Amino acid sequence: MKNVILLTVDALRKDVLGCYGNKEGLTSFIDSLQNKSIKFTNAQSTGPYTQASFPGILTSSYYLEYGRQKKCSPRRTLISEVLKKSRITTAAFHSNPYLSNYFGWNRGWDFFYDSMQDEVSDKIPYIKGDGINHKVDQWLTSYTKDDDYHPFFLWTHYMDVHEPYIPAKEYLNKIDPSINLSEDEMLSLFKEVILKRDLSNQKTVKLLKKLYDAGVRETDNYVKEFFSILKKYNVLKDTVVIITTDHGDEFGEHNGLSHDGKMYSELINSPLIIYFDNRTQGETCNNLVSNIDIPPTILHLFNLEPFEKFRGHSMIPLKSYPQNGVFGEAIGKTSNHEKETDKPIYFYQENNLKIIYREDNQSWEMYNLNKDSQESNNLIKSSTKSENMKKKLMTYINREQ
Amino acid sequence: MNEEVKKKNKELIEKSKQVVREAFEKFNPTKCAITWTGGKDSTTNLWIIRQVCLEENINLPQVITIDEGDAFPEITDFLVTISKKWHIDLKWLCNFNMLKCCQSHLGKDIHVKDLDERNQAELKRIEFEFKSFPFEAESYAGNHLMKTVVLNKYLEKSNTELLFMALRSDEQAARKEDEYFTHHKAGHLMPEHTRVSPILHFTERDIWDNTHLHNLPYCPLYKIGYRSLGARTSSNPGEVGVPAWEQDLENVPERAGRRQDKEKAMERLRKLGYM
Repeated sequence: MKNVILLTVDALRKDVLGCYGNKEGLTSFIDSLQNKSIKFTNAQSTGPYTQASFPGILTSSYYLEYGRQKKCSPRRTLISEVLKKSRITTAAFHSNPYLSNYFGWNRGWDFFYDSMQDEVSDKIPYIKGDGINHKVDQWLTSYTKDDDYHPFFLWTHYMDVHEPYIPAKEYLNKIDPSINLSEDEMLSLFKEVILKRDLSNQKTVKLLKKLYDAGVRETDNYVKEFFSILKKYNVLKDTVVIITTDHGDEFGEHNGLSHDGKMYSELINSPLIIYFDNRTQGETCNNLVSNIDIPPTILHLFNLEPFEKFRGHSMIPLKSYPQNGVFGEAIGKTSNHEKETDKPIYFYQENNLKIIYREDNQSWEMYNLNKDSQESNNLIKSSTKSENMKKKLMTYINREQ
Repeated sequence: MNEEVKKKNKELIEKSKQVVREAFEKFNPTKCAITWTGGKDSTTNLWIIRQVCLEENINLPQVITIDEGDAFPEITDFLVTISKKWHIDLKWLCNFNMLKCCQSHLGKDIHVKDLDERNQAELKRIEFEFKSFPFEAESYAGNHLMKTVVLNKYLEKSNTELLFMALRSDEQAARKEDEYFTHHKAGHLMPEHTRVSPILHFTERDIWDNTHLHNLPYCPLYKIGYRSLGARTSSNPGEVGVPAWEQDLENVPERAGRRQDKEKAMERLRKLGYM
């Protein structure tokens, strides 16, 4: 394989994908990739929102490792920097301000598009998937002109699932044609309900979930368009595509909306699919993995040596992946506004046991995800494994930096 | 320049001219206006519109330029010189009230309460909630007041129905290649109008090919390395000392030299539900 592509969809819940059991047919294109993919059923994110998760995805490090700062610390090494040194061309296309040049995520890219100089609409504050695809198309046109082009690493990120949930009409019609909301009405739902984390009306929450689902359906179509661009330039056959998200989204599962500082599955249990165009059979991997393993996996796919600063391990070959637990950390904010006084929250998972520690009220939670997928039955006081799990989590919290 | 480039250039110009002709079929030229910043794109655009006017015997619509209070002197000189040379009656627009409030002093804090009613209403419209902001043309509030508002006021006063702009689709990711005309509905403090970008299909490379092929004038800043000219304090050269057209136009973003704006990032994050 010559090239590697990382395709991330912001705020994509695992349970909306057909290939992970959803029955509503929201992601027919992504589902169709299954027979050429390795599907990871137990992949966890290092954090429940972009800033806590992307250090895992692009730098194989944890969020609070270099102090509590919003900008990407210069002490982190991006996968793009490692690849560029190995003479692999690197290009990034996204529209998430938290991952922009201003926040320091532009390092190591030969081409970095963060859309911050483009105009965006007042209601939808990012470049939509078709616009991102258009940029990728333009880049590939010139890059692949020469048949003998250098291998590349491409990272594309879509924002269309993220709030404010304002899906295009045609996709909303496919979800529920009876919903007749204007963009302004959807925007005011965002302002009045999501921003206020107002769960008082269950009907409204259900309606919001439908808008979200329509955004998923819309994004599936952008992924389809993206693959057809890869085919058009004849690169798909030489390329591995990793598809994942940074975090999920909550619709009242744990008394919240959007994605705050919590470590429950609707936020951190991620879809993760690795697509190989030359495979003829799909494979499912139930190993517990983390998005911190993505950069080492990318190095492996390029046949490059592991990089000592990366904390994760290559997920491929599956056989040699170490059976360790996974860890994540974030600031435990509970509204859309992170306060200086908000304290960290941590989780550690081993097999099907997950332990969570909130520093602000020094609370511990432990769940058996096999028996209790809702994470509602706290075992911390009753389980004999609690002390051992606490110890393991503390080892991570007090790790050497 | 090789024959292929020449042939392509001819096609690009013909396509643009068709768009301009279509614009004049749909709108009375006296109800049109042309925006000109003095940059390479809007100069190319103006040059093409001017040709169509000469060919079709149409009076050139009003040409307007917006002084953001932070212009490069080289750009101002260029606008003055070329408008004389091309016999253009250039209209300079400016938000004078704002300049007054900061005594034309860059970076100086402007207190919202000192602004006139219209400017205050405009800030309210964009949900700008702070009591003061520094005078910078490309900050969120500054950009709105110094550019958007000035333009809207002009459209309103002059009853302009069509605005010629110089957007290029390779710069505007969100833009489809064939959307030459965009209609803007009337909104609060914004008059209804249509915008047309005849050079939408030009790439940055095409602009330079055209400039050299037809000996178009350009601002000397491009020669010393600037690729994109915005406000003075927020534009930086791409590669210093290397003329724009000799730089890696295909792989380095054109506006990489323009300062990334914290406020812009914050504003988008706010709209995404953070902070």
